[in-house]
Amino acid sequence: MKVKEVKIIGLGGIGSILVNKLVRFVNHFSHSGSELGWEITLIDGDDFEVKNKERQEFLFLKNKAASKMDELNAIVSESIKYAIPEYITESNVSEAVREGDTILLCVDNHRTRKIISDYASTLNDVIIISGGNDYTDGNVQMFIRANGKSLTPSLTDYHPEIMNPPDRLPTEMSCEELANSDPQLFFANLTAATIMCWMIYKVATTPLEEVGFCESYFDIVSMAVNSVKRQPRS
Amino acid sequence: MAYTKKQLTEKTNAELRQMCKDLGITGMTKKRKEIIVDALMANQKADDKAKAAKASDTPQTVAPKKDTPKEKLTSMAYQMQSTLTKPSAKQGDKHTTTIMVSCGANSGSFPVADRSVGEVKSFLTEALNIPSFPNAVVNGKTVEDKHILKSGDTLEFLKPAGRKG
Repeated sequence: MKVKEVKIIGLGGIGSILVNKLVRFVNHFSHSGSELGWEITLIDGDDFEVKNKERQEFLFLKNKAASKMDELNAIVSESIKYAIPEYITESNVSEAVREGDTILLCVDNHRTRKIISDYASTLNDVIIISGGNDYTDGNVQMFIRANGKSLTPSLTDYHPEIMNPPDRLPTEMSCEELANSDPQLFFANLTAATIMCWMIYKVATTPLEEVGFCESYFDIVSMAVNSVKRQPRS
Repeated sequence: MAYTKKQLTEKTNAELRQMCKDLGITGMTKKRKEIIVDALMANQKADDKAKAAKASDTPQTVAPKKDTPKEKLTSMAYQMQSTLTKPSAKQGDKHTTTIMVSCGANSGSFPVADRSVGEVKSFLTEALNIPSFPNAVVNGKTVEDKHILKSGDTLEFLKPAGRKG
């Protein structure tokens, strides 16, 4: 069986919902006669705090990756292979993102998105699915590299705010800054996670050259989702 | 039969929607009464113009000519131009210069061929929730406000990515 490495980076409001659904999908997929096996790794340097319980789904008050691994492996045996309690930076991105990986990026800052997108651009085969939201809207991007060529735009190609990120990495922020995060709506996290699931299904079942769409936007207030196709610029 | 605005306003929503259906005016099933009335009035006005043009044997075009000053596109004009001046025209004989315009989750087809990107941005800012100083992309290429749209183009005002997660 061919094994696909899937890594979820960031286990906040989006990632903690997404991983619950992904484990069930992978379990279903592996029992449906697929020749593709999936190994899931969770990466997050943050600990779960009770103040986030309205948006984030965790059972244990400890590192989010470790907590989610314990929780899900109890439901589906060995569904999570590794839990890495670290934030992604320029110095460790090459260890976290590797050839052939599918990266589900659920972080809360553009700096990390840029680091991962830039590094992925140097790889031959990698898929990045990145979700983000503001209070009631957001987007999901899909960056596909195959045989050394970008099939869809990188995360920075059409997003100058990611190309020149105004924010900082979690490792550069004080505890006070980390604690004072902007309010978020659970439904926005949930919608971003759901659209990421659509994209996971798409890349799992469609030849990469035929995926086409590279970004989906959603807006809860106007009750709209719009998916776009764009050509890679780099 | 020509109606005055007052006469149309006195009709029920169901009657107005049926009129729209008969005239080939689409997209009215969930619109408010005043919008439907405006669309019908615009359609009627356009129909009158078309008849006058036909009578004088002058070719009638809906899209503004390049040497004429371009009036600001109103929502009524959008409805009117989308459905053309000849609702009974067969497929292929209708005005088909709508362009897909999107910004984030919001999108639509609008009759903005021959308009500049800046004009379209100004008109659709509220409808599509376009942010301040957006980058405009036509057929995948970044363009400036003065860029003139052509039939078949796709225009996207780039919306910044969601930051949180």
